[in-house]
Amino acid sequence: MKFYLVDHIQELEPSDRIVAVKNLTLAEEYLADHFPDYPVMPGVLMIEALVQSAAWLVRVANDFDQTLILLKEARNVRYGTFVRPGERLVMEVTAKTIGPTESTFQAVGRCEGKKAVQAKLVLEHGLVADEDPTGEAIDASLRSFWRKRFNLIGGPRALGDRPEES
Amino acid sequence: MALSHDEITDKVREALVDALGVDEDEVTPEARIGADLGAESIDYLDIVFRLEKAFNIKIPRGDLFPDNILQSEEFVQDGKMTAKGIEELKTRLPHANLSAFEKDPKVDDIADLFTVDMIVRYIDLKLGQDAG
Amino acid sequence: MRWIWIDRFTEFERGRRAVAVKAVTMAEEHLHDHVPGYPLHPPTLMIEGMAQTAGVLVGDVFDFNEKVILAKVTRATFHTHVRPGELIHFEAVVRGEVRPEGAAITGRITRGTDLVADIELMFAHLDQSRDPVEPGDGNFVFNEDFIRMLRMRSLRNLGQPAPTPDA
Repeated sequence: MKFYLVDHIQELEPSDRIVAVKNLTLAEEYLADHFPDYPVMPGVLMIEALVQSAAWLVRVANDFDQTLILLKEARNVRYGTFVRPGERLVMEVTAKTIGPTESTFQAVGRCEGKKAVQAKLVLEHGLVADEDPTGEAIDASLRSFWRKRFNLIGGPRALGDRPEES
Repeated sequence: MALSHDEITDKVREALVDALGVDEDEVTPEARIGADLGAESIDYLDIVFRLEKAFNIKIPRGDLFPDNILQSEEFVQDGKMTAKGIEELKTRLPHANLSAFEKDPKVDDIADLFTVDMIVRYIDLKLGQDAG
Repeated sequence: MRWIWIDRFTEFERGRRAVAVKAVTMAEEHLHDHVPGYPLHPPTLMIEGMAQTAGVLVGDVFDFNEKVILAKVTRATFHTHVRPGELIHFEAVVRGEVRPEGAAITGRITRGTDLVADIELMFAHLDQSRDPVEPGDGNFVFNEDFIRMLRMRSLRNLGQPAPTPDA
């Protein structure tokens, strides 16, 4: 499986809110184990989809400077309806605070209009170079990687849809 | 060891903050566990486990948050509790304040009875009983 | 890639506590996406490892006849990053006791003496929660593959950690 859980960004209000989607398909091999004859999106992958959506808000907020964005804490994650193959999870993540190295979010994922997952998230963010002295080259290549990925999943368009400030 | 009302309230607040991820100042006496603090079905069990640990008591299933009182025709008709149903509620929930509910006993409103204060009163009664 | 995020149980006390280990290796596909050029085992997959460790602990109480599923992640806090070549241990402890209505678990993930994460989870039975399930045969949560891979039939043989010899 490819560990990218955001297929498309639908809306993006910088430092504020993002709406993105992840499609679920039978072609995702791990579904054969989760569960046999009853394929449903694993709960932790729903959390990961919310985390990756929140990460895009962080990247846009610091113009892709920070390359390492990871879940630091998840609180009060509760589940509702299942997400089944052929359906999509719509992630709506709202930033509560965006700090220099840590940000907090309120996140909800819905499927067919019903709540599938909700969570409070804290993400930590920084550079590979912060923890690895030889990391600068990796950071440079990651910045380019994330920018390309952002373009691929409709990021610029979602940003552009925001009315221009006069 | 007798606990004061305030000590009970503090421990109940801590249990609710841990279980529901809400802020301390949201946990007021009138706050409804469901409507105001956002508790969903799995959270009620989490709250019970934490209260049992905090107060060293056992809370039998359905004692604090009755779950199956609503099944019987004797107690519920047309979405409202019958007089018998209200009596049953009073017996099962001596710690709940039913005066407002009685005026318009809609089954859907039962969850509104579950307030922080109701939990504190339940613990108070329970600790009093266990002490003999 | 199999959806199995622990490798082996090392300790097992029925209805009370279990410890499982996972080896993190470059051979895992997802590490090449997370993140490209700097592999770190994703925190959410560590939550799953704890959920699987605890799920077996809880499911065993019902002889794996109930479809035990993760109902809530009360809290998961991560303290350090995990890389390929490392071994991490998942310790799950039942809070109170396992009940028909559900179970609460307190968990710790460690790497040697380092604390990787603190996790609190809750489990419920599929048939009692969430969407109604279409009837089917067997328990797809604890299916034959999962049972075989994790040697769940030999869990009782693991027993408790060996007692220290008398001085």
